[in-house]
Amino acid sequence: MMRFLTSLLLGLTILAAPVYAQSGPLRLELDQGIIEPLPFAVPNFVPDGPAATQYANDISRVVAADLTGTGLFREISPEAFISRVSSFEAPVQFADWKAINAEALVTGAVSVSGNRLTVRFRVWDVFSGQELGNGLQFAGTTDGWRRMAHKVADQVYSRITGEGAYFDSRVAFVSESGPKDQRQKRLAIMDYDGANVQYLTDSAAIVLAPRFSPTGDRLLYTSYETGQPRIYVLDVDRVRRTELATQDGTMSFSPRFSPDGRSIVYSLIQGGNTDLWKMDIASGQSVRLTNTPAIETAPSYSPDGSQIVFESDRSGTPQLYIMPANGGEATRISFGQGRYGTPVWSPRGDLIAFTKQNKGRFHIGVMRTDGSEERLLTSSFLDEGPTWSPNGRVIMFTRETQGASGRATLYSVDISGRNLRPVRTPDGGSDPSWGPLQN
Amino acid sequence: MDTGTKISAFAHVALIGWAFFGGTFRSEPLPMAVQEVSVITGEQFAAMTAQRDAPDVPTPTALQQPETPEDEVVPPETVEEELTPPEVVTPPEPEPDPVPDPVEVPPEPEVVEEPPTLEQPEPVTEVLPVPPGPEAQPRPADKVAPEPIAPPPPEAQPDEVETPAVSLDEGAETQEEQQDQTAPEEATDEIVTEAEETKENAPRTSPRPRVRPNRPAPPAQPEVAEEQEQTPPEPAQSDTAIDDALAEALGQGGEPSGPPLTSGEKDAMRLAVSKCWNVGSLSTDALQTVVVVGFSLTQDGKIVGGSLRMIDSSGESAGAAKQAYEAARRAILRCGAKGYTLPADKYDQWRDIEITFNPERMRIK
Repeated sequence: MMRFLTSLLLGLTILAAPVYAQSGPLRLELDQGIIEPLPFAVPNFVPDGPAATQYANDISRVVAADLTGTGLFREISPEAFISRVSSFEAPVQFADWKAINAEALVTGAVSVSGNRLTVRFRVWDVFSGQELGNGLQFAGTTDGWRRMAHKVADQVYSRITGEGAYFDSRVAFVSESGPKDQRQKRLAIMDYDGANVQYLTDSAAIVLAPRFSPTGDRLLYTSYETGQPRIYVLDVDRVRRTELATQDGTMSFSPRFSPDGRSIVYSLIQGGNTDLWKMDIASGQSVRLTNTPAIETAPSYSPDGSQIVFESDRSGTPQLYIMPANGGEATRISFGQGRYGTPVWSPRGDLIAFTKQNKGRFHIGVMRTDGSEERLLTSSFLDEGPTWSPNGRVIMFTRETQGASGRATLYSVDISGRNLRPVRTPDGGSDPSWGPLQN
Repeated sequence: MDTGTKISAFAHVALIGWAFFGGTFRSEPLPMAVQEVSVITGEQFAAMTAQRDAPDVPTPTALQQPETPEDEVVPPETVEEELTPPEVVTPPEPEPDPVPDPVEVPPEPEVVEEPPTLEQPEPVTEVLPVPPGPEAQPRPADKVAPEPIAPPPPEAQPDEVETPAVSLDEGAETQEEQQDQTAPEEATDEIVTEAEETKENAPRTSPRPRVRPNRPAPPAQPEVAEEQEQTPPEPAQSDTAIDDALAEALGQGGEPSGPPLTSGEKDAMRLAVSKCWNVGSLSTDALQTVVVVGFSLTQDGKIVGGSLRMIDSSGESAGAAKQAYEAARRAILRCGAKGYTLPADKYDQWRDIEITFNPERMRIK
């Protein structure tokens, strides 16, 4: 009897089954979202004592400034915070951060012991209530607090965007001061954000085009202190320089390291003709890479060291060409209107940045390595000399204003063309060279 | 005058009067055929005269027309050639129009060769079935018509027997039938071409999971929705199938499962999530990664805790997929914080949702 009732009930259940059976989950496809800075909050890091308070506040501000400066993030003003983080270990009140629409939250703590500074931090995805990555700690001297702040920001950036960062990096450039007709130029180095400027040369001689080595420990630059352009290698840490061997009766300039740092490629003027040469740094042996009556200059290696992109006027106007790293047939890649120059291969290997002059305006642009998809990012009276951030996302360049009082300033721009902004330096700046991320 | 004379005279007068007035000489109007006249063109006249000429033997000429249709019957090829437009099938009807043209041409040659061709009919009919496969489209028929061989076969058919005017209808019918047969061929051909096209769409659909992965066991919240999802696979297995079915039935008691969501309702849900899908902070690699994110909703439209998961991703880099998933997760959570607005009477339709996030159009080149 029981079995009969069970069967009956089962049968009724089947009959009562919904007419519209759900065969699977509701499937939707999104191909349109929004592009806007991601809102984040960085409450002041928690100090472990009075000595750490200032460091904690300063580090928090640098972290926030680094992230905001990318144009990819938007800091939520601390004034809008609902809850205060008074303990690094205390659980995060996500509801309070959701309420102010913070999608990412960075919490941290700073401790100072004598000259030793320690920074701990965590990154949170507020709406999922999950931590992005694991908590991390940096330790160093109090003098290096900015570097530690940059390293924290690097981690936050990477954990949210998924790509490498560039905050803990340095930029070599030519610091310019004085009026245009009496411009004094000094070789200088600074943090990527313009802080901690250090001068490597005095203003006795004109210096040009500093170029970081792949590891960031050396600088190549061109100096006119002998009256002729000569290439020097500078040990950044010891500030000790060495002149590269040159041939008599020649002038060399526009040097750049190979990706392995063992050789350089540069332009050499010999008998009125400018060609590209490659020199082994250890042995001083040089090899000619081009041999044409045209002017070849501004060489730049591909990240894998297999190719060189350079500028040549062999077609009548300056254009961009690519050739094998050991020389050989060059392929022209620029075909737009105007003049192209100073090509630089992206660290990612997918793009080439360049300077373009067209119709009286200068532009910084990028194109694929085959010359396709050219995209101009800037336009002004004079923009030139692009250099890539270590992650290939940002380009820094020189912008010079018009007139006798014109001033050269460093600018940076995202490869999307957004977030164009000046880099604050004590004086004017030109010829930037962005170094690698520091260890 | 004597009486006889008077009688005779009276009789003659009466006879003459009857003859004149009696209607003896009236003649009834002859039957006359009335024919309406209308203006016709020279071509029509020529056509009419041609048909008159044909009648001698070729009355079938009109019937021959069916053959040209038979040539048209060949359409299968047209079908093959016209892979994309399935609607093209309709053209067969217009075919009758092309028919007249060939008709005009053939008649003349027919006059000359008709007698001999009368015996060939059978071979012709045999030929007809064969060509259908390889022959060309109805339009090519124009090319076929000019050929001397084509016209004769048509004549053969009429000779066989089926000469009546009905032949036109029959021809049309046969055409329709064959078209029906060809239609599926078109479909298959189209499927092939569409398959190539679908390759473009492949990335959209491929990332979707073909088999639904097992849902992680809900730790804290034993909600009704989760229980139901767990039960379906079980019933077929154990002895407790009946109990499970009963439990399921009892559990579903209060959950409405209306008809599928309308496109408008789906768009609304899509829009609700897209407003929070911010890819501005994603790396270029993550922007090239398509992720499929699955989650479950409660009846009030809120996300079931712990149900969010990445079902599939298309990118080469696991790191990029992770970032892309996290951006998608933020979108779903952020815009669903207060619950998504969906038709309550269709809860069973949207209890589980899978969203494919494809940033292709938002990529930074």
